[in-house]
Amino acid sequence: MEGEMMTGNLAAAWGARLAGVDYVPAFPITPQTEIVEALAKWCENGAMAARFVTMDSEHSMMTAAGAAAATGARVFTATSSQGLLYAIEVLYSISGWRVPLVLVNVSRALAAPITLEPDHNDVLASRDCGFLQIHAETCQEVLDSILMAYRIAEDERVMLPVIVNLDGFYLSFTREPVIIPDPEQVKLFLPPFRPAHLGFKASAPHALGVAVLGGTPYSYFRHQMHLAAMNALDVHREAAAAFEQLFGRPYDVVEGYRLEDAEDVLVMTNAFASKGKGAVDVARAEGKRVGLLRLRMIRPWPADAICHALQGRRAVAVLDQNLSPGQGGILFQEIAACLYHEALRPRALCSFIGGLGGKNISEGELRAIFEQTAEAGIRGKGIGPVLLYTEAEHREMVQLQVLAAGSRAES
Amino acid sequence: MTWQRETFKKIKQIPREEHVLPGTALCAGCGGLEALRLAAKVLGDDVVYVNAAGCFTMLAAYPFTPFKGSWLYTTMGSAPAGAQGVRDALDVLIAKGRLPKEEDLKVVVLGGDGSTYDMALSSTSGAITRKLDFYYFCYDNEAYGNTGAQLSPATPYGARTTTSPCSLQHPSGTTQEKKDIFEIWRAHKPPYIATVAPRYPLDLEEKFARAAKFTGPKLFLALSACPTGWLYDPGETPEVAKLAVETGLWPLKEAINGEVTHTYIPKRKPVEEYLKLQGRFRHLFEPTRQDDAIRHIQARVDEYWQQVKG
Amino acid sequence: MQAVRFHGRGGQGAKTASRILGTAAFLEGYQAQDSPIYGAERRGAPVAAFTRIAKEPIRERGLIARPDLVVIADASLIDDPAARVLDGIDERTAVFVNSSLTAEQLGAQTSHAGRLTTLDLTDIALQQFGKRGAISALLGAVAGRLVGLRRESIHEAIARELADFGLAAPVIERNQTVALQCYDAVRTVSVVAGAPQPIAPAQLQVPTYEPPTRGTARISAAANSVLRETGGWRTFRPVLVPDKCNGCWLCFAYCPDGVISMNKDDRPVIDYDHCKGCQICVHECPTEALVAEREKEGAVAWKAK
Repeated sequence: MEGEMMTGNLAAAWGARLAGVDYVPAFPITPQTEIVEALAKWCENGAMAARFVTMDSEHSMMTAAGAAAATGARVFTATSSQGLLYAIEVLYSISGWRVPLVLVNVSRALAAPITLEPDHNDVLASRDCGFLQIHAETCQEVLDSILMAYRIAEDERVMLPVIVNLDGFYLSFTREPVIIPDPEQVKLFLPPFRPAHLGFKASAPHALGVAVLGGTPYSYFRHQMHLAAMNALDVHREAAAAFEQLFGRPYDVVEGYRLEDAEDVLVMTNAFASKGKGAVDVARAEGKRVGLLRLRMIRPWPADAICHALQGRRAVAVLDQNLSPGQGGILFQEIAACLYHEALRPRALCSFIGGLGGKNISEGELRAIFEQTAEAGIRGKGIGPVLLYTEAEHREMVQLQVLAAGSRAES
Repeated sequence: MTWQRETFKKIKQIPREEHVLPGTALCAGCGGLEALRLAAKVLGDDVVYVNAAGCFTMLAAYPFTPFKGSWLYTTMGSAPAGAQGVRDALDVLIAKGRLPKEEDLKVVVLGGDGSTYDMALSSTSGAITRKLDFYYFCYDNEAYGNTGAQLSPATPYGARTTTSPCSLQHPSGTTQEKKDIFEIWRAHKPPYIATVAPRYPLDLEEKFARAAKFTGPKLFLALSACPTGWLYDPGETPEVAKLAVETGLWPLKEAINGEVTHTYIPKRKPVEEYLKLQGRFRHLFEPTRQDDAIRHIQARVDEYWQQVKG
Repeated sequence: MQAVRFHGRGGQGAKTASRILGTAAFLEGYQAQDSPIYGAERRGAPVAAFTRIAKEPIRERGLIARPDLVVIADASLIDDPAARVLDGIDERTAVFVNSSLTAEQLGAQTSHAGRLTTLDLTDIALQQFGKRGAISALLGAVAGRLVGLRRESIHEAIARELADFGLAAPVIERNQTVALQCYDAVRTVSVVAGAPQPIAPAQLQVPTYEPPTRGTARISAAANSVLRETGGWRTFRPVLVPDKCNGCWLCFAYCPDGVISMNKDDRPVIDYDHCKGCQICVHECPTEALVAEREKEGAVAWKAK
């Protein structure tokens, strides 16, 4: 086996190190902390030629990150969950400045109730802020995506920041073999950072992020961010081609798994997609024609690639590891919207909610998804949102509630 | 020992060149702009202003900027962190040879009192603790001015704001005491902190000139008399500022590495003369005079200067 | 429906005037709607406010592009391109201007199609209140007269709207009295509600991508704020009496906007394109060499380029 065993967090740190970043403002938060610990060590011992600064909050951290990138430095930072939401005001500023830094988010469910394990409500809360989003399934993909993220972000056709997302625990603390790309090859892949519109200096003063009065300029600039994000689809394709040529690993905005003759398709993101692929294999062995579509790029939304993968299927199930209370799964809505105009759209679209707060999604639950989705396809009517929650989990929950209530009788 | 100005002895030493040009949307008679304009005469153009949300946000409003230097608008709560990012990036780029040394800039945070005294305090405290080499220019108009004069942590006892109106329960309007941000900064032991008032331009210019010698966090707390929020005629801005200083309410001072020197010792006119000028204190005088409140304000000033004489 | 657009400078009371009109119409049983435009502009800068009055439900919001009546609180606004007071005015539009000139005199100087009437509210306010400042009650009363609202409703509306400012009862009463004098004094022109116009669909032009040098809120020009003139903010202008000037530099030192420079003879030179008229220099001049003169339209030196 090639490479070496490392966690998703260490792979993220390696991505920043290989990208030759100049600056790392940091703030610890579980389950991300290991990333900044590794970077602190490397900045200190000279393995990286970057300045590492521990900030006073994620809000300050993101501000420093954006301001440094606006000054012309290549910047990396990382956070998670509450930290991401604490900084979210600044995310909008940074994308508005059109500053191309890379932020790793290690997904973790949001309080309240406070918890540590992952789901995707944190990263999807930043869905509309103008950052591009790449969601990784493996530790290798975390590292590779960070390198690609810089190349895409710094392209003049894009100039937007990127979030690379990985799941807390299931990737952040999980070790698996990762190939560390050759630094010289990385230099070929990633040209130096020389943005035309950024960089404060005495000889060329400029004002950035200035107020605009009235909707005319505001609409214009906000729409430019949209066009820039849409350009990232082409730029990603070019970057992926160059990456494959140099490093031999192909990436696309979506990844199809055993889709070729699949009747029913399960849509997933992030680390649990590995489990989804396992469930596809089991079902295939039983002769069921199922496949999996993993969304890798969430922003820009790869509508064409998604439609291409899902058109003509009998039924599609979207497994959202997030919940928008009062609406359901966030990605389900987006999938449904982009399939609307497909003449060959699936007969049924099913919405499943699973893995909230890091809850496991068992093989049995995945099997239930395939069964219910097949039935929906036959019926020609979708279902959901259905929360993946087993009888055993329900029993466990009741016991916890009994303990929490103690002797006080509350109804 | 009396404080001596070394660089700015005569008013005609104030540099003629303007660095904050006219055409801005700030109110006529803005005391904050008056202070910034004077400060910029010493700071020059090799500056990047890192702005927090506040009245000054409107200085650079697309497509116009009054500055010959650079500007970055951040947020209300994190302009010092923005300064950190800019300063660090300049240092890194210069160290790596990607930016010539002569392209270097002074990093100057612009924040109102709302940002400075409360929302950005964590960010500020962090920046001072990290010994960030930057200027912090606070235009203190003692209220959230950009939103129309609401209570801020800098609002003094007895002032009426739109969110601390006077009522039967609270006849004085504001019941809190103005937060002592100078001492909060001083507790961090930065190399230089000063209060200024633009009505005392030589004192202001001298302090900026002195601060330039220090590397690290440098605070300027600028009394920013505000005709719009304090309710007086715009032409009286210098008069209001003068009385703030002459009554002892706004001490002119500096602290070098924590050691405080008062740069001007006022004869201390009664505070009433200052209060009477402004609509925000009118309720202390009419329809009925609130002697207790006025005495309270006077007592606080007396107490302060007692301790100064110590 | 009658659509009334108020133009003023921050602090003059255009917004409150629009509310007085709205409240007065409401009191008379009309459907009414009033709203200001909040820019980032400050005291002295152009502001606008809108009042709609109708018998039927009002199916509009926000700015009034085709006003039936335009109320201009400050004649200098006519020359200020940023204020856009003449937008959407045609021959049926009634236009009131707070001006010392008659409608005929002012009409000779300005070029717009509207039907003019004037009254010198600033002078009335100076005489009756003894200081410059908000003329909201006066503007509201004049507007009320022009759209045909009754004296009593204007009287009551002024009380209601000014009470929000915490003004003492005698001050409010004084405002009511003076406002109704203006109500009576203004020469009326009929306000004709515009007929619905056929509206062509907008020609949409969706922008294409530009590099971020242009495509983000960024200014690479240096100190270009001078292109924006703020001279029109003034009600009073500082004027130098050269004989009295002792060349002390104080006016230069204290000017917030930096519009006073000292010439080689140490005499102040005032940039009237940008002077906002705060009068700090007038207040602080130790020799009274700077005096305040009221801006007069027609005769003013300041003009938009």
